Amino acid sequence: MDIKTSFNSSSSGRSIPVTSSPVGPTLIDIDHVDFYYGASQALHDINLKIEEKKVTAFIGPSGCGKSTLLRCLNRMNDLIDGTRVAKGQIKIRGINIYDPSVDVIELRKRVGMVFQKSNPFPKSIYENITYGLRLQGRSNKSDLDAVVEKSLRGAALWDEVKDRLHTSGLGLSGGQQQRLCIARAIAVEPEVILMDEPCSALDPIATVKVEELIQELRTKFTIVIVTHNMQQAARCSDKTAFFYMGKLIEFADTRAIFMNPANAQTEAYVSGRFG
Amino acid sequence: MDSLRPAPNSDFLVNKKRVRVLGLSFDDAVKIFFGGNALVSVIVLALITYFLFQEGFGFFGQNHRNLLTYRQAGLEYVDYIRTQESAHTALTRYLSDLRLRQFNYATLEKNISPSAANESLVAFDDFAALYGDAVEPLRGLVSELTEQSTAIKTKFLVAEDKRVERQQLTTEGKIAEAAAVKIETVDFALEVKALTGTLPAYKELAAEFAKKLDAALVTAPAMPTPELKNRLERFRQLNSDFIATFPATTRSLETWDYTRAVPWYQAFSAFLFGREWLTASFWQDWYGIVPLFMGSLMVSLVALLLAVPMGVGAAIYVNQIASAAEQRFIKPCIEFISAIPSVVLGFFGIAVLGQLLRWLSQQDALAWVPGFPFSERLNILTAGCLLALIAVPTIFTLAEDALQNVPKAFKEASFALGATRLQTIIKIVVPASLSGIISAVLLGLGRVIGETMVVLLCAGNRIAIPDFTAGLAVVTQPVHTMTGIIAQEMGEVVRGSIHYRALFVVGLGLFFLSLAINFLAQKIVNKYRISIG
Repeated sequence: MDIKTSFNSSSSGRSIPVTSSPVGPTLIDIDHVDFYYGASQALHDINLKIEEKKVTAFIGPSGCGKSTLLRCLNRMNDLIDGTRVAKGQIKIRGINIYDPSVDVIELRKRVGMVFQKSNPFPKSIYENITYGLRLQGRSNKSDLDAVVEKSLRGAALWDEVKDRLHTSGLGLSGGQQQRLCIARAIAVEPEVILMDEPCSALDPIATVKVEELIQELRTKFTIVIVTHNMQQAARCSDKTAFFYMGKLIEFADTRAIFMNPANAQTEAYVSGRFG
Repeated sequence: MDSLRPAPNSDFLVNKKRVRVLGLSFDDAVKIFFGGNALVSVIVLALITYFLFQEGFGFFGQNHRNLLTYRQAGLEYVDYIRTQESAHTALTRYLSDLRLRQFNYATLEKNISPSAANESLVAFDDFAALYGDAVEPLRGLVSELTEQSTAIKTKFLVAEDKRVERQQLTTEGKIAEAAAVKIETVDFALEVKALTGTLPAYKELAAEFAKKLDAALVTAPAMPTPELKNRLERFRQLNSDFIATFPATTRSLETWDYTRAVPWYQAFSAFLFGREWLTASFWQDWYGIVPLFMGSLMVSLVALLLAVPMGVGAAIYVNQIASAAEQRFIKPCIEFISAIPSVVLGFFGIAVLGQLLRWLSQQDALAWVPGFPFSERLNILTAGCLLALIAVPTIFTLAEDALQNVPKAFKEASFALGATRLQTIIKIVVPASLSGIISAVLLGLGRVIGETMVVLLCAGNRIAIPDFTAGLAVVTQPVHTMTGIIAQEMGEVVRGSIHYRALFVVGLGLFFLSLAINFLAQKIVNKYRISIG
């Protein structure tokens, strides 16, 4: 099925979030960034502004650098030896996060992350959610209880797990595990949530639940989502960035990217001719 | 579509002719080769187990006879009185200690010259001599009885030997020679009567003994300090406790009966709970595994106490913190330790480590360490340190594997929530790999318990249960171990003798200990293996 028709016809189903897109205040300013894995350059001169309380989708074929860019936003790439931002800056609220004075720990508390494969800790559901809080030294029982309930409700998981909070998080289904990971991320109340293909390992029904969750979360958080699934980008996001070979090809309102792409490569990709 | 395909041809289904040797194809031969190797190892294991059991189990029958002879020949009877004598000896040692304390007090605190101090202790020496000499009549009785009962035992053992000789000759068909072997039957009833006949004499002696002790105690001079006074009071208490045991001893002697059967379970319990391992003794051999087991246990505990932090710590560092270059350097280094032959380590322990530890212990600055200074350079500590070295590579390698198996996703999730590296290691990585780490430690323990050469060379080889009243200083005592005793004594024993078989049972014990440890390690790994899906 053509992606454009799917985009149009879906208006009869769930609401499309991109009917209007007023320019919001910029939260993350990616300013001419070059990024290297050792000697090989993964990102070429990326220039992108991510708006506050919007869902921004990164799309593109495998190996195009979209996940790399996402992981630059909370400096997860620091964990890989030999990676570096060679040029440019990434600013969150005007502060360059690659500045030596920036505390990476503090940054990651502000910029949470949900991974491709659900990865709850081998601990109970309760402990999974309170993990981030305990790291910050919060240990008041009633306080933690409240956050657990709030986060699980926020991740639309409360009703399913409220009776077994103290059983292992690994005992949940795949979709539930992923929502648990989202609950864990929002428990520390970050400003930004980065999602790296959060639905790629889920079945369609679990995917729908996570997508609905993203719609709810966008009122409180700024969300950046990497996805291979173009329908998902179309359904969930306000803005879409298309990457190819480490370069940002086009960045615009999601509606524009899918309905009326300015670039021929974008058009070819979103219409399914390559990728 | 089907019409386009060529007509089906089933030729390919016909079995092709392949080269066959003895009716076996190449595939069959390979299968038999691999299967055969597996089978051989299973058979060898079964044979070893069978051999151990076969040689070992004869021990319990022999031990039963050993215990029976102990009773029948009256050795047990004599030991009742001997125990009393040894208890008195312990009390005189207490007095010697008390004298030393007084002497030290006089020379060190009061600055009296040694000769003057000795003079001032004349009254105490007289008292101690009086107390010590009180045992002489009893001692005379014991040595007299010892000779008698040893004679009975020897007579009996010679008779047994002759009987075996005759049987052997008979089976060889030399009937005449067999008949010529003279067997003297031992009439225990008669022989033992000579022992028990001394009971009235003993009773008299004991009563007099108790009186003499009390009389001697009255002459005890006053002590100069409250602390020493307390010690003398304590001694008085010990003395009256000792005298209070006399009626019980008399009762034991009165009710002693050489015909009373030795229950079969004692052959086992005397081994499992026996506190003495005494062989080739002129008096009575005891095969109790407790001192050897305690020795092995103490040495292993010290080794683990050192090796667990080292091995696990190094594994965490190498796996989680070290740079790639450090990893490339540290890993082979630690793994290389296991390439050192244990006899070389033992040699190093005697020549270097033992000396070094003793030298360290004699430094004044370290006098506060419990057990310091010590004079035995070969002891639990020395052996434990070297065994730790042997356990470290095992623990390190297995613990590192366990850490490596923690999914990276856990670490990433932890970092993404704002955890530091240390928090991630402590709260996520180590708990997630805990089962693997525990089994690594258990396998390290198995490695240490089974190690022979190092403990034989460095543990001091004194067969005694460590004195736990010394507190932590217990680690400076020499011990003997289960592995060490087998290596040391197996070469000297007569095949088939009770001693020989006792060593086999010790070996069986080791075998089951290792088996249990390995089984437990496996269980833990399987039970807590993390499945992430």
